[in-house]
Amino acid sequence: MMKMKKYICALAAGALFSISAPIKVDAQEKFFRAIGTPHRPKVEVAWNRYYTYEGINEVMRKIADAHPDLARMESIGKSYEGRDIYLLTVSDFKTGDPDRKPAMYIDGNIHSNEIQGAEFSLYTAWYLTEMFDDLDFIKELLQDKTFYIVPTINPDARNNYMLEANTAHSPRSGMIVLDNDGDGEAGEDGFDDLNEDGHITMMIRKSPTGRYIKDQRDPRKLIMVSAEEKGEYEMLGYEGIDRDGDGQVNEDGIGYYDPNRDWGWNWQPTYVQRGAYKYPFSLPENRAVMEFVMDHPNIAGAQSYHNYGGMILRGPGAEEDKDTYNREDVRIYDAIAKKGEEIIPGYRYLVVYKDMYSVFGGELDWFYGGRGVYTYSNELMTSYLYFHKNAGRGNQDEEMAVDRYLTFGDAFVDWDEYDHPQFGKIEIGGFKKNFGRAHPGFLLEQDAHRNMAFTIYHAYHTPKLSVMDVKEKDLGRGMREITATIYNERLMPTHSSQDLKHNIERPDYVTLQGPKVVAGMVVENEDFNKVEEQVNNPDRIAVKNIPGMEAIKVRWVVSGGGKYSIDVDSAKGGKASWSSDQKR
Amino acid sequence: MKLKIISALGLGVVLGLGHPAWAQDDYSSLNQLNSRLQTVARNSAAELQSLTKTEGGKDIWMLRLGKGDHRNKPAIAVTGGVEGYHLLGVELAVQFAEKLIQENEGLLDNTTFYIFPNMSPDAYEQYFSSVKYERRGNAAQIDHDRDGRVSEDHYDDLNKDGMITMMRIESPMGDHKVSSENDLLMTKADRSKGERGTHLYMMEGVDRDKDGQFNEDPEEGIAFNKNLTYKFPAFEPLAGDIPVSQPETRALLDFLFEHNNIFAFVTFGPANNLSSPLSYNAGDAKKRVVTSMLEKDVELNKMISSIYNETTSLDAYRQDNKGTDGDFFQWAYFHFGRLSFSTPGWWIPEMKKEDNGNYKSQESNFMAWAEDKGLEDVFVDWTAVEHPDFQGQKVEVGGIKPFVMHNPPMDMVPEIAGEHKDFIIKLAELQPSLEFHNLKAEKLNNGLTRVTVDLYNNSPLPTHTEMGERSRWLQKIRIDSNKDKDDLVSGDKIKLVDSLGAFEKKTLSYIVKGSGTFEVRAGAPHTGIATLEVKL
Repeated sequence: MMKMKKYICALAAGALFSISAPIKVDAQEKFFRAIGTPHRPKVEVAWNRYYTYEGINEVMRKIADAHPDLARMESIGKSYEGRDIYLLTVSDFKTGDPDRKPAMYIDGNIHSNEIQGAEFSLYTAWYLTEMFDDLDFIKELLQDKTFYIVPTINPDARNNYMLEANTAHSPRSGMIVLDNDGDGEAGEDGFDDLNEDGHITMMIRKSPTGRYIKDQRDPRKLIMVSAEEKGEYEMLGYEGIDRDGDGQVNEDGIGYYDPNRDWGWNWQPTYVQRGAYKYPFSLPENRAVMEFVMDHPNIAGAQSYHNYGGMILRGPGAEEDKDTYNREDVRIYDAIAKKGEEIIPGYRYLVVYKDMYSVFGGELDWFYGGRGVYTYSNELMTSYLYFHKNAGRGNQDEEMAVDRYLTFGDAFVDWDEYDHPQFGKIEIGGFKKNFGRAHPGFLLEQDAHRNMAFTIYHAYHTPKLSVMDVKEKDLGRGMREITATIYNERLMPTHSSQDLKHNIERPDYVTLQGPKVVAGMVVENEDFNKVEEQVNNPDRIAVKNIPGMEAIKVRWVVSGGGKYSIDVDSAKGGKASWSSDQKR
Repeated sequence: MKLKIISALGLGVVLGLGHPAWAQDDYSSLNQLNSRLQTVARNSAAELQSLTKTEGGKDIWMLRLGKGDHRNKPAIAVTGGVEGYHLLGVELAVQFAEKLIQENEGLLDNTTFYIFPNMSPDAYEQYFSSVKYERRGNAAQIDHDRDGRVSEDHYDDLNKDGMITMMRIESPMGDHKVSSENDLLMTKADRSKGERGTHLYMMEGVDRDKDGQFNEDPEEGIAFNKNLTYKFPAFEPLAGDIPVSQPETRALLDFLFEHNNIFAFVTFGPANNLSSPLSYNAGDAKKRVVTSMLEKDVELNKMISSIYNETTSLDAYRQDNKGTDGDFFQWAYFHFGRLSFSTPGWWIPEMKKEDNGNYKSQESNFMAWAEDKGLEDVFVDWTAVEHPDFQGQKVEVGGIKPFVMHNPPMDMVPEIAGEHKDFIIKLAELQPSLEFHNLKAEKLNNGLTRVTVDLYNNSPLPTHTEMGERSRWLQKIRIDSNKDKDDLVSGDKIKLVDSLGAFEKKTLSYIVKGSGTFEVRAGAPHTGIATLEVKL
């Protein structure tokens, strides 16, 4: 890799003309630009397949190497099994410190089997860096904003899902092995890949008391017989044997805990909220994210990717948290997510506790409740993408049709006989682990692009501050009154109302530099001269909040003449400045 | 090597004081505590381990007392110093260890003890520092008033007496006046009855950041007893942004989650559910987020309370702290599913006024008690000071000295410690205890034997609290037999039982093929393991 790069550099320096010309000709001859996609990207990535942890890291490394002024890669901590959790910072590094720009945080794969969030996150980093030179909009976006992108925050179990035998739903947790059946032993009876095909599918057995038959039109399909009919098969559950001799199969495998019940806002223990671990951030992967977020108060928006069902979710996760989300903030949530519904057909904007289930300790609740950050979780992949019908999750008839007409048998393990040590003669088969929840390859890129477009819209509407107007008034006796208007030209305020309720983030500071400040104040109503004086440090006015699409005014009474400048410094709104030198 | 040096030091301290440790005249410094713990740890049944160091660089000690297979014996966790100003709690935990190892070592054959003597060493040290105040927080840097500046408005020792007491400022805008019960004390004017205040009344300090509030962002950090997950008071001063955020909190919980033999907690802290039990509220117990002790567990609390009251001599008075948000004792029950008991160990006894009535305020009750006991060193007389925030106004500093209302004079401590040791021993004697009874082995035809036996919990306590039955962190009772599944014509090779109640039995029955020894093992680490052998 390194050698290859050097070689190209040497060539480029030595024979610039001769090397660039043939490629250009190639492109002209072989390719024609498609709108919306990076043409001749510096980093070639296939977006119709999935990547292991190592594969993801390689793409991240390539992006960071190819775009040193736009992307850098760092580890934010280690997983339980010791893997680095890598993050890409994407921003225009030449226009200011990325950690002081309003930022969008994106992660994927918190549930290990919900894999495509990693590819979607990665696609976002790739698209932004590759399009920076082509599109004014993207260039301006990365000048103003920063994206912190962590493709997988569950790297251990991502690889387990992909490389070991699993169902579409396992492991879901990370790789910590717990005692699930309460017998004092941990992980002693997990799945067994009896037919050694890398997928945990179903076991069925012929039985005179069975309630199922194979569908005559499609014998892959098991259907239940009616109440008075005699069936032929009984279901025995997922592939496995009773390893510990307790009369149960597959009752104690990897985990189980749920990394998305581990976050520190209104956290509840496992008897209240199944899946919770020991205490908030007792999982090392989440702790790494938490510490990064605590260190980066510039994060104003956040997105986590899950699967599946085609949803743009906001909190509250738990019904008990209803009052945490107040009207002011819901207005912002609604505005962004309703645009998302248009951008991603088939996806619906829903509220977790109302429309899914009431759940404590979710990532989105901590980001919002604990940090005041507007956050969505998208449930990626919806069956709508197959035939543009709303057949719903896990509709067997539709899935069989997909495998017949679109994937041609790739999604299903046909029933095959097997001699089971405990059940005797059985059959094993069913849908593969990478069907249903995961997009088939041909649907992956489009959905990645659309979900990215939603996060770009979200990021675009993090606050953008400017000093819009500065007015001076002579008060006589060498005194002047300077009034500055600070405008936030995006939807989001510098402090969400959850933030304001708990003073999560410091106030925004507007500082006058230059003349001696005699008094400083926030102007509440300029027309009627309603002001609130700040007695301490009047040169640095602390403003509680700068609402979205609105302006605030501050005023100083100063003595003496001379030049001056005004600096705005907001944790989530970034910086803005104005100087009397550049006065229009 | 290390031990030798420390023990030599310990000896030095004892010699230097001129009397043995149990006749100490004041609470032990951290160094003195360390050497006392090292002394106990010289016993072969003891192990002393530093779980972590606090932000202030202090060790969080865990002292295990236990013998043999101690991790599979029911255990009691004894915790002190959950509040940094409660030195008595630390002393009670350490004296418990000292006394137990000297006087009741035999108890360790059946019970293991994990003693966490001091969970707030950073704050504890304030008692020994040049400016004393009742400190709760550790050494973390925290912006308590959330204004973007850290610890910018700390207490100030205005009268330079080495302690933070109160200050009063003469002002018609004040809402306090001199107490009618004791003219040294201030009391809140009851404005609803037309009373006027004469003084502003607040902690000793200057409004350093000129925001109109006094001492709202002190130098102390996070309070251990406000940093746990049950009802965590997010964003409140001393609590922080997230629960279990501090090294000592995490280290303790990580240890506890790894030690599933603990069946009960005794915590020395401000909350008290031993003088009287927690009450049951059906509505709160049935909600998804449970905030009432469950019904059966309240009954257990009642039983243990009555034992506590029989064992200790101080009558309950004003013991109405039944837990505070984010505290440790409630965590141990509500989020860890164990029996959890808390007591301050000592409180100010009930005093009577001349008319035989009670004092309205705890402060005047305390002053009456101190006078009765002949304690002279408990009050700082009001003295005038110049105060930059109240120029031209009469400002006085004074009031009850820090610590004295929560920590009795040292000469009272040995008796308190002895009673509490006796109580913990009684609690240990009630621990769940699995036994096999009524064994029958009947020969059937062709080498088959039917074995029936009763598994019996010989204890007034159930093996699991009602809350514990819900928790994944409390193991079920597991019954294992040594025979292969093929040799068991009936009966389970492995059987899990959710719990056994107080004095409850469960009859087990097996039909076993063949000869040899049939063994059954039943239990969980927190119940102990019972074993049975039958010759077939």
